Amino acid sequence: MTDDGNLSIDFLAGFTIFMVAFIYVATLIPGLFIGLQSRTIDYDAVAYRTGVILVEDPGMPYNPSWETLNDYNKGDILRFGLALTKDTPNILSIAKINRFFCSTAFVYPDDYHSRAVFGDYPYQFNISFQMAGDNYTRSIGDVLPEGYGYSRRVVKIKETSNATIGPGTGSWHSDYEQQVNASVHLFSVYFNYTKLSGDGPDLNNPAYQINPLNPLGEGVVINFTDLDKTTNYLNDSSIYPGLPTNITLTQISMYRSVSLAPLHTVHSPFAGPILDPHDASQYNLYVDGSSIRTTTLPVNITGNMSLFIPPGLLSNVGNDDSSTWLKVTMQFNLTDGQGNPREDWFLNSTQSQPYGAFEYNYNPANVTQPTLQDGVVEVAVW
Amino acid sequence: MVNDDGQLYTIEGVAAGMIMLFTVYIVLGATSVYTPGDTHISDMQLEQVGTDALRMMNTQVNGSAGTSPLQDIINNSGVSGFNGPEFNTTFLNYVNNKTGSETDNLHYNATVTYYDIFNTTTGSLPLASNRNLTGGEHPVRVTEWVIVDKKFPGTNVMQNRAVLVEVLLWRD
Repeated sequence: MTDDGNLSIDFLAGFTIFMVAFIYVATLIPGLFIGLQSRTIDYDAVAYRTGVILVEDPGMPYNPSWETLNDYNKGDILRFGLALTKDTPNILSIAKINRFFCSTAFVYPDDYHSRAVFGDYPYQFNISFQMAGDNYTRSIGDVLPEGYGYSRRVVKIKETSNATIGPGTGSWHSDYEQQVNASVHLFSVYFNYTKLSGDGPDLNNPAYQINPLNPLGEGVVINFTDLDKTTNYLNDSSIYPGLPTNITLTQISMYRSVSLAPLHTVHSPFAGPILDPHDASQYNLYVDGSSIRTTTLPVNITGNMSLFIPPGLLSNVGNDDSSTWLKVTMQFNLTDGQGNPREDWFLNSTQSQPYGAFEYNYNPANVTQPTLQDGVVEVAVW
Repeated sequence: MVNDDGQLYTIEGVAAGMIMLFTVYIVLGATSVYTPGDTHISDMQLEQVGTDALRMMNTQVNGSAGTSPLQDIINNSGVSGFNGPEFNTTFLNYVNNKTGSETDNLHYNATVTYYDIFNTTTGSLPLASNRNLTGGEHPVRVTEWVIVDKKFPGTNVMQNRAVLVEVLLWRD
């Protein structure tokens, strides 16, 4: 027997060590080549996904929508989404934006990670929003580092419709100025839910709709200007020497009518008031530029008044019934400054046809329609 | 008899191997290579912004407007040609707007493509641009179909028709 073909101990030892090292390195290869892939690929993809979720999706739950859930029920929110509906990508709801950026309701990063960013990796992120022409940026998240994944989306934001009523405005009608002396005057605003929810412009596109049944709605604003000029102010000094006529808003009442069974072709008489007419906290009320939302009526008015009926209130008082007709009636009392009733001319809709009210509708001469404002949303992930 | 021919000098070999492996590991780990596949990310971001901008320009600002700003720009009040300056202002506002005080600085070249009914061909007319293409850029292409009421070559009458607004968009 010869030594040909024998292996040395040294070779065996060396080969064994080499194989162990080789296997060890082979197991490291997936991690070893991470550096060959741009780090931003994953972050960019997550930023893109988050941007799509926010601007193209209305969120979940949808009805009732997530932004209407109070802080105690925020655990029921499965996914944030700022779009008005799934059919209106890039058109955002201002109510959802306000809720999304509410730092007292949601905590960064946990609440946002599980509902907008998703994924197992604990990403850090920053989501910001700005209206065009506005210097104020709303954001949640950390300060941006040197490198990050990024997505920018151009959006529009649906703003609230409003009506401005006063002498000289486009919606003014001579019927509203009752040239009959009285110390108590009524002015009503009328909402026909069937028309508003079914006859919107552009084939009833949600982006332009004033839908009183929609709890996600934007609310409505009714502005009154130059109320003092609807009194017989030019002749006040001759008729009433001394102090001019004082105007007091004493109550705001809501009256509701619904179609009657079985044919639903006839409406019931207006019944109400369906809310406490002296509680101004149900609306946002601004008088002569000052908010008096928590004040109980009556309140004195010098010239201007704005009534903001917030999102959800019209839906709530309509009781989810599309046949609802609603009248919001404001009662104004006129006095001589010493608390005594004074009979004078004033804003009064009771003589206007056909409903004795100003109709809040899709006529741009009456109501400034919901407008889409430009904005931008940015998502950064790292 | 076993001799030294072909033997591995174990300690030196293992040490050298370990050093080589460690070096490769460190080098690869410390390097971020910009692979050709990564370029699609910045392209995708540009396409997203451009597409959003055209879509928002082709959205009515309110329900009573009747037409979108992009339709108005192309219709140009019934006058021949397009309202290029208005497109330039509006489009750049959309694509350059960012949150915060900084703005982006993008360049574009926009055309309108239409169908010539008489000659059964498609034609293209310049809409607006804020810089000429020299060939060295790396632009992305974004498009939006727009319904317009306008007279285009090949027809003598105003008529509703779909035209394609094409924008080449790039960043220096």
